[in-house]
Amino acid sequence: MEPTAELLPGTLDLLILKAVSLGAQHGYGVLLRIGQISGGGFRIDQGALYPALYRLERQGLLGTAWGVSENNRRAKYYRLTAAGRKRLRSETDGWQRLTAAMAAALAARPGEA
Amino acid sequence: MLATLRTLWKALVHRNRWERDLADELRFHLECRVDDLVRQGMPRAEALRQARLEFGAAVSYGEQCRQAHGLRWLEELRQDLRYVSRTLRRSPGFTAAAVISLALGIGANSTVFSVVNALVLRPLAVERPDNLYFVEPQIRTNHSIPDYRDLRDRNRTLAGMAAYAIRVMSLERGAGAERVWGYLASSNYFDLLGIHPALGRFFRAADDRGRGANPYAVLSYNCWRGRFGGDPQAVGKTVHIDGFPYTVVGVAPRAFHGTELFYWPDIWVPLTMEPRIDAHDLLDARDSHIAWVIGRLKPGATRQQAAADLSAISMELAREYPKEDEPQKIALARPGLVGNAVRGPVDAFAGGVMVLAWLVLLAVCANLASLLAARAADRSREFAIRLSIGAGRGRILRQLLTESVVLGVLGGAAGCALACLLADLLSRWRPTPDFPGGFEIPVDWRVFLFSVAASLAAGILAGLGPARQAWKSDPNQALKGGGTARRGPHALPLRDLLVGVQVAICAALVACCFVSVRGLSRAISTSLGLQPRGAAAVSFDLDMAGYTGDRGREFQRQALAAVSQIPGVKAAAYADAVPLDGDDSGITVFRAGTTDFRPRNSIAVTVYDVSPGYFGAAGTRLMAGRDFTWHDDAGAPQVAIVNRRLARLLTGSENAVGARFRYDGGGEAEIVGVAEDGKYASLTEGPTAALFRPGLETYNGTTVLVGRSSLPEPVLASEMSQAVAALDPHLPLYRVGSLREMQRLAWVPSRAAVIALGAFGMLALTLAVTGIYGLSAYSVSRRVREIGIRVALGALPRQVLACVLRRLAWLVVAGSCAGLAVAWLASRVLAHIVYQASSHDPLILVAAALTLAAAGLGASLGPARRALRIDSASALRQE
Repeated sequence: MEPTAELLPGTLDLLILKAVSLGAQHGYGVLLRIGQISGGGFRIDQGALYPALYRLERQGLLGTAWGVSENNRRAKYYRLTAAGRKRLRSETDGWQRLTAAMAAALAARPGEA
Repeated sequence: MLATLRTLWKALVHRNRWERDLADELRFHLECRVDDLVRQGMPRAEALRQARLEFGAAVSYGEQCRQAHGLRWLEELRQDLRYVSRTLRRSPGFTAAAVISLALGIGANSTVFSVVNALVLRPLAVERPDNLYFVEPQIRTNHSIPDYRDLRDRNRTLAGMAAYAIRVMSLERGAGAERVWGYLASSNYFDLLGIHPALGRFFRAADDRGRGANPYAVLSYNCWRGRFGGDPQAVGKTVHIDGFPYTVVGVAPRAFHGTELFYWPDIWVPLTMEPRIDAHDLLDARDSHIAWVIGRLKPGATRQQAAADLSAISMELAREYPKEDEPQKIALARPGLVGNAVRGPVDAFAGGVMVLAWLVLLAVCANLASLLAARAADRSREFAIRLSIGAGRGRILRQLLTESVVLGVLGGAAGCALACLLADLLSRWRPTPDFPGGFEIPVDWRVFLFSVAASLAAGILAGLGPARQAWKSDPNQALKGGGTARRGPHALPLRDLLVGVQVAICAALVACCFVSVRGLSRAISTSLGLQPRGAAAVSFDLDMAGYTGDRGREFQRQALAAVSQIPGVKAAAYADAVPLDGDDSGITVFRAGTTDFRPRNSIAVTVYDVSPGYFGAAGTRLMAGRDFTWHDDAGAPQVAIVNRRLARLLTGSENAVGARFRYDGGGEAEIVGVAEDGKYASLTEGPTAALFRPGLETYNGTTVLVGRSSLPEPVLASEMSQAVAALDPHLPLYRVGSLREMQRLAWVPSRAAVIALGAFGMLALTLAVTGIYGLSAYSVSRRVREIGIRVALGALPRQVLACVLRRLAWLVVAGSCAGLAVAWLASRVLAHIVYQASSHDPLILVAAALTLAAAGLGASLGPARRALRIDSASALRQE
């Protein structure tokens, strides 16, 4: 098994937004896509996905519609709303600034400070 | 926010579907996972187990979804409500008591608030009412027309100014004349207010073609509906007002009742028609202050700037016209109640009653809180059990609060209904039949909002104490101690404090009530300067009916003769007004020999023009001298009768017969009689100087016929009006009735105060009695065991009573003292409203204290008897 990372608090929402931004998906599809785009780098309790989805829906960041899945079952599909897209952009920027700053800080060597 | 509301709405409406969808979604996830695992080669049963494992606690996640969705509190609220409705149904007596007392408290509050709303808060029904001001000079509330024109043309801070004056007019449209209230309004009046006619058009500045040349009339909506039957053809019709033809040009909108709350006009005519209406041309008379003025601020100008601007112009005018204009400041006041002159007292009175209503609501809350506290104490065992099996304190707290808020809302709904009823009654009430127009107390959104806020506040306020008790209760103690909470001997428990507060509020209200009732009864018994019992009056205005001097005088004589001949009439007379009828006029006089006629040497007097025999008819005693005779007319030397106060002011003694005085503006008169002092403008006025002149000296068309007989007053009044109608059937008669009815307006403030205080006092007394009863009954029932032990150990009945009631007695005494102290302070304010209200009356303090003592005693009688009947053997066997 590959080594996996614990999720930092708050990152699950960002991952969901990112996954859904690539196309409307049902809950299980979101889970698979997160695994796919992160290279299986995160360990997620599968059930924990749903409270997050409902929270994002209530915040108006995700829209929902019932549809038929690829295996012909009734499934609830999530898509990004305009507000969701905006949130994804700002969170992505924030995250990149954070990681850049963290990386720079951790790359520091003795004598550079 | 919108999304939250939408999901919440969906969740509320489609609750079941939402739950089903959630279950479907989670199941779909599991099935997909199982399919994937089977595809990877896992046996199906194993795959199912694995998928469940990976998913985690489905129930918990479902609950988290619900919470994320904002549904959990809703679910809990539903549970709480169900629980509360169950517990309330289980104790119907408690529920009824709580709801009724809340309904009374909130009903009283909402009613008072609706009055305050109508008088103080609600703006006039005009465009941008916040920008409209009453232009109020310092000395009197009205302006002369030339002054108004100068103020209007010279100011730089107002966008526009309009003038209006209230006049009684006779309106004739074919069949007979009716007496109506009208406004003379400057032609820009409607344009300034920015309102739109319901029908036709308004008169406007463009119609102005000089004095008397724009005979247009605008009808009020009520007048159009009432007198013209709502006929759309009314516009364009010709009506006669004071005998002169006018064209009806339009009808005002329904909500617009003129610019004074207490004077609803039936009709508006242009100010330029004033010479026709008043029979004197006052449009250029700078010394006749006839009109009220309103104005709108220019954009950017402030109220202070405008007041300074207008004051400066007023000073200028005083320099230019030193004879007519006094230098005075001008203020801008809120319109609707004749500037600050009437608004001040009305605001103060309304505010005072509102405070009373709050006090009563506070007493209601205290009452409810003590009931709830008793219930909470009785249920402390239940709470303890629930706490020990894992219920959250917050949840129990919320349940208790839900209970009190539910009670608050129920009581509030009932109270709101009560307020609607009372406001409707008040809207229909008229102090006198002749009261101009109406007095509207609408129950609008402000009242509704107030009721809701009051209900919630009452619910929360009443629930807080008991909730706190439950919060602090220790389950261990409660279970061990059989539910009795232990406390230190010196702690003042919440319930005791609440009853103390109730008693204090009640004491204050009862004392205030006594103060005003006693004041009123004194007012009834003190001399009004006339004897209203047995006297009736009929009024008519001969000027309005087209009579001129000589014919009018002749008619007055004939009417008097006709009334005198009614069988049973002992005395009859006429006057231009009678004391306390609200139509008093004043002049100034000087002592004989005065050479310096500056205002500080003048004496302001209320003046009446009366016919011979007036003093007998009105029941005013003549202390010295003689009555007028039919020879005291314009040809005879000027004579007058003064009241004792004026006699003292003029001559320094009450033996003033034979002395002389000067009228302002010339002319001297001899005093031929001295009459008793009385009340003239209001019941609360101080000693006032009054002057009676012979009605034959100067003609005045406004006539009040007064008759006195042994007949019942209404019979006399109707016979008098028939006698006058027989002389001229077309003459509009008004204010037909007993003298007491004519003077009713003067009694309104005192009566209103007595009724309000009486109602609130009764309410507070009832609450205090139930509160005391509740506390004593409760304390007896909680201590049955203890009393049983005491009795078994040989306690005497006296000692049993002392142990039960001592604390209560202290509470009642302390509460009463606090309340009486508050009342003592409050009655200084009351003295301004209620005639002769005085708190320095030991009788009142004693009476209030006795009332409370009796209430306390009565309320604790039952519980005390129960305490005495406790049988030690059976009491100890209990539990």
